[in-house]
Amino acid sequence: MSLSTAEDLPTPAPIVVREPSLWFKLGLVALLALLCLVPFLFVLTISFGHKIEGAGWAFGFEFSHYKRFFLGATWPETFQSLYIQRLGYSLFFAAIGAVIAVALAFPFTYFLTRMSRRAQTVWLVVLLSSLSLSEVFIVMGWDILLSARSGLPALLDGIGFTDLMKDLGWFQWFRDVGLASPRAFKFKTSGFATVLCMAYLVWPYAVILLYPALSRLDPALVEAARTMGARPGQVVRTVVLPSVRLPLFGSTLLLFVFLLGTYVTISVFADPSQHTLAVSIYDSVRGSTLNAPFGAAQSVILLITAGLFLIAGQKLSKAGGTA
Amino acid sequence: MADLVMKAIRKDFGSFRAVDNINLTFAHGKLTALLGPSGCGKTTLLRMIAGLETPTRGQLMLGDQEITAKPAHQRKFGMVFQNFALFPHLSVAENIAYSLAIEGVAKARRRARADELLELVQLVGYGDRRIGELSGGQRQRVAIARALAQEPSVFLLDEPMSALDAKLREDMQVELRLLQQRVGITTIVVTHDQREAMTMADQIVVMSKGRAEQVGTPQEIYSRPANSFVASFIGKANFLAGEAQGGRFRVGDYLLQAPESRQFTNNSPVTIAVRPENAVIAETENAALGNNIPAEITFIRDVGSTRDIYLKTPVGEMIVEYGAGETLRPLSVGEKVPLHLPPEKLHVFPRDVEAAG
Repeated sequence: MSLSTAEDLPTPAPIVVREPSLWFKLGLVALLALLCLVPFLFVLTISFGHKIEGAGWAFGFEFSHYKRFFLGATWPETFQSLYIQRLGYSLFFAAIGAVIAVALAFPFTYFLTRMSRRAQTVWLVVLLSSLSLSEVFIVMGWDILLSARSGLPALLDGIGFTDLMKDLGWFQWFRDVGLASPRAFKFKTSGFATVLCMAYLVWPYAVILLYPALSRLDPALVEAARTMGARPGQVVRTVVLPSVRLPLFGSTLLLFVFLLGTYVTISVFADPSQHTLAVSIYDSVRGSTLNAPFGAAQSVILLITAGLFLIAGQKLSKAGGTA
Repeated sequence: MADLVMKAIRKDFGSFRAVDNINLTFAHGKLTALLGPSGCGKTTLLRMIAGLETPTRGQLMLGDQEITAKPAHQRKFGMVFQNFALFPHLSVAENIAYSLAIEGVAKARRRARADELLELVQLVGYGDRRIGELSGGQRQRVAIARALAQEPSVFLLDEPMSALDAKLREDMQVELRLLQQRVGITTIVVTHDQREAMTMADQIVVMSKGRAEQVGTPQEIYSRPANSFVASFIGKANFLAGEAQGGRFRVGDYLLQAPESRQFTNNSPVTIAVRPENAVIAETENAALGNNIPAEITFIRDVGSTRDIYLKTPVGEMIVEYGAGETLRPLSVGEKVPLHLPPEKLHVFPRDVEAAG
């Protein structure tokens, strides 16, 4: 659209980009290596190390920790998939949490970008400041909100919702999905509470990630669709969503990878049988089992998994971008 | 067939009145240009017709049906946006057939209709291109085809030429006008370019500060401007400040005659407008002819097709324009010449209104 005008503009003086000196580049590479590569190599080294009972670890080159992860400690006598399950729960919770966060952030951000500049600024400041809350605070908050005696279950009881459900005979359904004890609603230690809290954790990030794409969306596109007979829902489905599908996909992927490492939420809200790799890593490294090499092996696997997802996402979005 | 009628339409944005008491009829099958400087309310008026804005007051009728509160997606007036607003994620054919896809028309029929329209806008074979692969002019054609695909009762264009370069613009004006006449659709074009409006329109609405200053055919508006704003906005004009005096008009020390199309009370302030091509450099001072003002040539601009003579007179600076075919004796800068203002070519307006332009 601006092609013709761009040609009319006087050619700007070429911006001279001075090539940074070799030392500067080397410095940058060294800094990057120090910050990213060295810790990773350290973890990688430990993961092949030898566990010394009650004392830590020693250098070595053992595959036993990886074997334990994929096949179980007692393989080949018996096969155990406990840690693969943990990885599975990591992926499961992170995926659902990320999808819910983005799904809820999308309509909010869309309406946010249609507000006045001033309202947008206020909202963005509030969102940004909410990022300063640590996971621990947020989990504590939800812990109270969902607790049986003082939180949502007590409220539902107080307003008679619990009795209403019982009278209608629907209470059993809540029990079946694990959101109620025989007498009252019970939200804590459930997949519901875990996913809720994880989605809540990353929701502000989702808004901030979607905001640039949605605010760049030309309002004329929406208006054009309206003049061609599209109802508001159809406009969102046929114009807005396709225009921002790459940012939507990218944000979901990023938040998914971010949520793979969630620790506090899982350890407070998830059922111990559904604990994720992050919790298991902590247990190995600092917690009950004190097995640093095994913890390191799990970390390496989690990192590689996250990396694989990012690479696959990159490939997918490239394919989607050119299609 | 149904005319589109606006009755006492007003639009306020907060305390700002964008459109004020507009009464207009857009006759069926005719092309109307909404012409005015930026911020005059012409785009707001167009958006109200499309249903993208709701009037604060007034009524919008399509034939005998009131559509004031009808939402845009039910009016389905085809609209071409200033930046064309083509959907980048859809192909050219999918863009054109968008309204049909919304209606739920089958894919094969959508494609057939898109091909039909591509032929109408002379883009045969472009159906599978991406929007990003098109030039500005091609995008405009796609936008026009897309707006016409739903066979709208009214066709709206918001500054459709502004994203095109000057050469293409002139061609597209003619092409769009021919297309509109072929399709025979009620069309409203918003523009700030008087040449564009005069090239395309059956009817021009000159707007300023939310009001319609004059409504008429291009020729009416050019030859009989209703006020000094219209005279200055449509074409060029020299303006003289004066006062009415006994059926004539005093400008400085000179008394000028003009057609008495308006009755002015004595001493009421007036603005007299005369178009550059209507003023004449006289051969000699001829008192019998009247309406003469002494002038001195300050500059001659000869651009081939026209010659503009810049003059300094006791009542202000003026420009006289001669076409290439008109004979004019050789003149030189500094020469003193009598300037003749033919009475029948003078437009006299009351001066109490704030003269714009």
